Amino acid sequence: MDRRTLLKTCSVVAIEMMVNPSLFNKLLAQEKELYKAYQKTMLVKENGQPFSTSDIRPNTALLFFYPYASTPCYLINTGSEIKPAKIKLNIGKEYEFKGGIGKNKSIVAYSAICPHQWAYPNKDFSLINYYPPTEKSQATGKSGIIQCCAHMSVFDINNGGQVLEGPAEYPLAAIELIEENDIIYATGVIGPNQFGEFFDMYKSDLIAQYGNIRKAKEVLDKTIVMEVGKYVKEQIKC
Amino acid sequence: MLKNKLNVSRRDFLVGTAALSASTLINFQTSAYAKEERPSLASKKAKVVIIGGGYGGVSAAISLRKHNKDVDILLIEKNEFFISCPMSNLYIGDIMEYSKLCYPYNNLTVKHNIKVLHEEVDNVDLDKKVIYTNKSKIEYDFLVLSPGIDYDIKESQKEMLLYYPPAFKPGGEHLYLKKLLSEFEGGDIVMTAPSYPYRCPPAPYERAALVLNYLKRRNLKAKLYFLDENERPIINSEGFMNAYYELYKGYAEYITGATIKDIDYMKKVIKTSNGEFKFDIANIIPPMKASSLIEKIGLLEKGQKWVEVDTFTFETKVPNVFVIGDSARSFLPKSGFGANMQGKAVANIINERLTGKKYKQEELLMVVCYSMVSDKEAVMSETSFRLNLETKTVTPIHREDNTRKEVNVKRYHEWAKGLWREMFG
Repeated sequence: MDRRTLLKTCSVVAIEMMVNPSLFNKLLAQEKELYKAYQKTMLVKENGQPFSTSDIRPNTALLFFYPYASTPCYLINTGSEIKPAKIKLNIGKEYEFKGGIGKNKSIVAYSAICPHQWAYPNKDFSLINYYPPTEKSQATGKSGIIQCCAHMSVFDINNGGQVLEGPAEYPLAAIELIEENDIIYATGVIGPNQFGEFFDMYKSDLIAQYGNIRKAKEVLDKTIVMEVGKYVKEQIKC
Repeated sequence: MLKNKLNVSRRDFLVGTAALSASTLINFQTSAYAKEERPSLASKKAKVVIIGGGYGGVSAAISLRKHNKDVDILLIEKNEFFISCPMSNLYIGDIMEYSKLCYPYNNLTVKHNIKVLHEEVDNVDLDKKVIYTNKSKIEYDFLVLSPGIDYDIKESQKEMLLYYPPAFKPGGEHLYLKKLLSEFEGGDIVMTAPSYPYRCPPAPYERAALVLNYLKRRNLKAKLYFLDENERPIINSEGFMNAYYELYKGYAEYITGATIKDIDYMKKVIKTSNGEFKFDIANIIPPMKASSLIEKIGLLEKGQKWVEVDTFTFETKVPNVFVIGDSARSFLPKSGFGANMQGKAVANIINERLTGKKYKQEELLMVVCYSMVSDKEAVMSETSFRLNLETKTVTPIHREDNTRKEVNVKRYHEWAKGLWREMFG
């Protein structure tokens, strides 16, 4: 493409956008991605030391942020093996969930943004929480799940985050974890992620918390894994 | 043939005056679109028109757009902005600002490429697939009606609604009822609840609790006579009854199975099967029925209050004409959340017909309802129906949390914010 053609193309696009702003959305509108590689991010403890698979006890969920500084995830050790699974979406598409990592293949991570209407753990409270096999949800009687107590969506963490109950149309996005020399890294997101909606819907909240959207969208080399209760004041279960 | 054919002269008049505005306003193929390199496809674009910009209509529009980037979607809503009925009891009970219930429709167009037309629908010719508004004539391929409810009262009673608004439709009714309550300095209040079905099963009970809570907070010398045509609260019965008797003793008189016989709103007396009650202010919640538009266009069977639709598709007797939300007869409790779920289900059905592809074997219709029983505590319920689209079977689940709790208030707020986020965020 020579310079003249390029300029011409750009100006046509620009003019069309002025005429019809929705064209801009149309150009951006893409099918939801089912896998996306993000920055390879090392999981670290609060003291900055690398986080290893032995640093999470069975039946526990910890919190970290990935792939962006403001997008929360749960790191979960279920205590027993989580096998790979094929996830079928109700839009006719399929993808592979890779299963757990660690000695017992029992460690997985999921995005903590509810794919229904985007509830997420914030500093004040969290309605979307992990219920280990040792703790049954009062409402649904289920355990080994992540459940959102706003609209009662229930996700199967042993099965790639698939929806077990409730109004969510998509599974929870799984975080791709790899283990190198006993250190855990997050490398990508498996399944339909909700980050576009998250940054769009919570723009003013994120600006208030992080100062600006650029900071909220910062991609991290290292991410601190912490007790959920250290970040979230109140975990609301039901 | 359908009932209620349009008056020809009126139609001609409409077509004549509306021609210009219709061709400019309603022509989906804007000049920018026409420049795209798909003119033949563009001219064949299917048009989906949705009447009613409440929980059902907005959810249907947005969900359809998520499924289908190409279809033309037009939402017709007479009001310039959305006002939520869910949570409006919190405004009446003076624990929430009214502005929190209000949202503009801009993002439907800006973010989702959905045209929004603020006009009032006069009639629909279901044979010719044409909608007539107060200004335009609009053609459609698929029609989704989500026009909500009307009050089922006699013409002679309508003036009463100005004195004592039911506040089961958003806007002025809420504002005026709140004004009545804020100017109330003590005495007797009467509230009535119609026999079910009506819009939002827990709403009258939540309102009674919040009015009582308001009286108590204000330390007013007052009594609420809550006259319920039902035998007990329709939903969260235990949670509401406990609240009335444990929190509001002395303020509350809950009279069940009380059939309303006569209301003299000038003399401020209400006659029921369980006695006569005088009042200083009242909140009369009358029986309800499908929006009168539904009846006007011939979709309501004689003597029926709600529209018969297919359980699995929400389609009416007219192909590709759907009714969702409170106007439809459904096993789902009439509610904003239910309309949101129905909107998504109907969007999926329309998309399947547009693309000729079938993805879903199952559809979930669900209602989650929260109700404040005081300014600080709430109860909740959950009703869901899992529809197997292959075997045409329905699996219901109903759960209630009747223990009033502060955490349920946080859940309630996130419940509403999530819906508003999805619809207007």
